[in-house]
Amino acid sequence: MAQMTMIEAIRDALDVALDRDTAVTIFGEDVGYFGGVFRATEGLQRKYGKGRVFDAPIAEGGIVGVAVGMGAYGKRPVIEIQFADYIYPAADQLISEAARLRYRTAGEWWAPMTVRSPYGGGIFGGQTHSQSPEALFAHVAGLKVVIPSTPYDAKGLLLAAIEDDDPVMFFEPKRLYNGPFDGHHERPVESWAGHADAEVPTGHYTIPLGRARIARSGEAVTVLAYGTMVHVALAAAADTGIDAEVIDLRTLVPLDLPTISASVKKTGRCVIVHEATRTCGYGAELAASVGEACFFHLEAPIARVTGWDTPYPHAFEWEYFPGPTRVGDALRRIVEV
Amino acid sequence: MTAYTFTLPDIGEGIAEAEIVAWHAAVGDSLEEDAPLIDMMTDKATIEITAPVAGRLTGVAGAVGDMIAIGAMLAVFEVEGEGHLAPAPPAAAKAAPPPAPAASPTPPLPPLAPVMGAASIAPPPPSPVPPSRPAPDAPRITASPAVRARAQDLGIDLADVACADAGGAERRVRHADLDAFLTYNRQSGYQPASATRPDEVIRVIGLRRRIAENMAASKRHIPHFGYVEEIDVTALEALRHDLNATRGERPKLTMLPLLITAICKTIPAFPMINARYDDEANVVTRHGAVHLGVAAQTDAGLMVPVIRHAETMNIWQLASEITRLAHAARDGKARADELSGSTLTITSLGPLGGIATMPVINRPEVAIIGPNKVVERPVVKDGQIAIAKCMNLSIACDHRVVDGYDAARYVQAVKRLIETPALLFAP
Repeated sequence: MAQMTMIEAIRDALDVALDRDTAVTIFGEDVGYFGGVFRATEGLQRKYGKGRVFDAPIAEGGIVGVAVGMGAYGKRPVIEIQFADYIYPAADQLISEAARLRYRTAGEWWAPMTVRSPYGGGIFGGQTHSQSPEALFAHVAGLKVVIPSTPYDAKGLLLAAIEDDDPVMFFEPKRLYNGPFDGHHERPVESWAGHADAEVPTGHYTIPLGRARIARSGEAVTVLAYGTMVHVALAAAADTGIDAEVIDLRTLVPLDLPTISASVKKTGRCVIVHEATRTCGYGAELAASVGEACFFHLEAPIARVTGWDTPYPHAFEWEYFPGPTRVGDALRRIVEV
Repeated sequence: MTAYTFTLPDIGEGIAEAEIVAWHAAVGDSLEEDAPLIDMMTDKATIEITAPVAGRLTGVAGAVGDMIAIGAMLAVFEVEGEGHLAPAPPAAAKAAPPPAPAASPTPPLPPLAPVMGAASIAPPPPSPVPPSRPAPDAPRITASPAVRARAQDLGIDLADVACADAGGAERRVRHADLDAFLTYNRQSGYQPASATRPDEVIRVIGLRRRIAENMAASKRHIPHFGYVEEIDVTALEALRHDLNATRGERPKLTMLPLLITAICKTIPAFPMINARYDDEANVVTRHGAVHLGVAAQTDAGLMVPVIRHAETMNIWQLASEITRLAHAARDGKARADELSGSTLTITSLGPLGGIATMPVINRPEVAIIGPNKVVERPVVKDGQIAIAKCMNLSIACDHRVVDGYDAARYVQAVKRLIETPALLFAP
C-alpha cells in the first residue's frame, strides 16, 4: 500500500501495464518527453523508451486512428487526448472505426485500446477545458465508458480498461487529480494525503468494469453519481443530514443496473447528478433505466441535478457547476414528496 | 415459365393447421386465377380457397385428410413470367357461413391481415374497451407509483381513500392515508383472507405413487357409472341404538357392520357386483366369497384393508374385524394379505360422508359402494310430512361388465333390507 494522488495512481497503473505487457504502448500530445500536461506519464518514456512511450502530433483523429490500427495489429495502445474538450476531431475514428471494428469484421479483428482523457470542470478552465462529453460516447455501441472517482479506483479501473480487448473511454475527472473536491470551492483546496481512498496497492490489481460502488449507505434516497460528483453528493448528504445512499457508478457502460435498482427499490427515491448538460445527458438514460426497473417502488419522481444547457462558462463556473447546495436542495425536495 | 409456390394463408383464427377436405383441381390442370382450388377445414369452418394465379397445377401438398400447417406449401403452379419472390399475393377464398360472433367461444381475434381479404371468417372484433377513466371534471387523484402498487396489492380503490391534504387542487394519496384507511376500515372487507405462502414441491413417491398409479389405471380403463339412492335408516338406527344399549363387552356398533351384512346378504342374487374383471384375458370371475375392502384414511394415505369372508360373519364379528383392521392399517401393522385380495370395496367417510359419492373402482373389481352421511330429513309418509333419518347410498360400477339395470336393482335390494331391518337377520 502507498498513499497516492489520483494522478500518481494513474501513472502507477500505466507503469504496471507497460511492465507486464510489451504490447502496451502509450502515445499522445506531450505524453513522451514532457510527461503529460497533468504529469500522468512523467518518467515513463525514460523508463520504457521512445518506442513505447512517445509524442504524437496535435491531430486527435490521427492519434485514435493509429491506435485502432495498432490494436488490430496486436498492440495494446493507451492513448491520451489531452483534454476531453479536444476529442471531437477524433469522433469519426472513435465512432466509425474503433467502436465498430469487432462488429464489422464479425469478430475477426478488434481494437484493444484505451483512450484516456481528462474531463470535467471545477478548475476555472472555461468552455475549452471543462467539458463532460461522456454521454456522447456512452451512446455509441461498441465503446465502454469508465470514470473513476478515487486514486484506488483510478488505478484498478485503468488496468481493467487496458486489459479489456475492446475500446474503452477512460475519462479522468481532472479536478480530482490532486485532491478530492466536494464542490465547496470557497473552502481551502484539499489533498489526497490521508484520504482512505488514496491508499493504493503497489503492483497489479484490477476493478472489474460494470461494477458500481456504494460510496455511502443510506435509507432515505439513492444518489447516482460518478467522477467529481460522487464527492459533491457525499457533501450534500453531510450538509443536509439526509441519509442518502450514494452510488458511484464507476462505469457508465456497462452499467451496474442490479446495484442501482436494488438501492432504489430500498429507498424508493432517486436523484441523479452529473456535471454535463442536462438535455440528453447520461442522467436521462439513468432515469429511464431506473423508471423501468423500479417503477412500482418509486415514492417520488426521479430528479436530476446537472449542468445547465449552456456551454461551460468562464465567468459563472459556480453557478453552472451542480454543487452541494443544488444537490442538497434536490435531496430535500425529493425526500419530502 | 416459372414455378409459383402457394402457401396456406393464415386463416386468422389463431389456428396452426387445417385439414384438406376436397381438391377442386388435380395436378396437370390449368386453372384461371380465382378458380376453385381446394377446401380446407379448421376447427371452426370449412373454407374454399381459390387459385391465387392463373397457371398449371404442378404439385400439391397432400391428399384429402392430410393436415397442412399454416404457411406451408399448399400447391405449386407453373405460371407465365417470373413467378414471385415475395409472399403470396392475396388469396381469394370464400368462407363457409360465418358463425355468429357472439357464439364464438374464442376470445376476440386480432384484425385479419389485409392479405386475407375475402377470407375473413368473422367480422373484425370491436376495438378493446379502454379501462374506465374518471370523468374529465372528477378531482384527479395523484399518488406515487409505490402507493399505487400498494393500494393495488391491497385491493383498495384510491378514490375511496380520504387524503390528509385534501385541500389542494390535486388529492395526493400517501402511505399514511392508506395506513389510516386500513386502520379505520377493518370491517369493510379489506383484510385479505391470508398471506401468500411459498409454493411447496412434493415428490409423489411410495404409497402415494402407488395410489396415483392405481387410480389413474382405474379411471383410464374403466368406464365408471354412478347411481345414488336415498334410504330411510330410521328403523335401522333404532335397531342399532337398541343393540348398542345391550352390547355388554362387545364393541360399539357403527352403521358399517349392518350395511355390510345387507351387502353380503344381497350378493347371491347379484353375483355380477362381487366380481373381478381381467380385462386382458376378457374373463369375469364372479366370486363366491365376499372379501370386502374397507377404504381407510391413514397418515400415509389411502389404504384398503380387507375383511375376508365377510359373508360368514355376524355383525359383532364384523364390528371387531373392522376395528382391528383399521387400527392395523393406521399403525402400519397390516400384513400384505390383509391389504389385498378384495372382491368388492366399500368407502365410507362417516360424518364427512356428504350427500353423494363418485368413488373410483378398486381395479380389477367391478363395483365400489359409498354410503353417505346419515341426516334427518323431512319425508312424506302416508301423506304427512315426517322427520326421518336418511342416508344416501352411492355406487360406482364398471359399465363394461355391469349394467345400470343390475346396479339399480342391487341397490334397491340393499335398500329394502336396510329399511326393513328384520330382514337382515332372516335366514
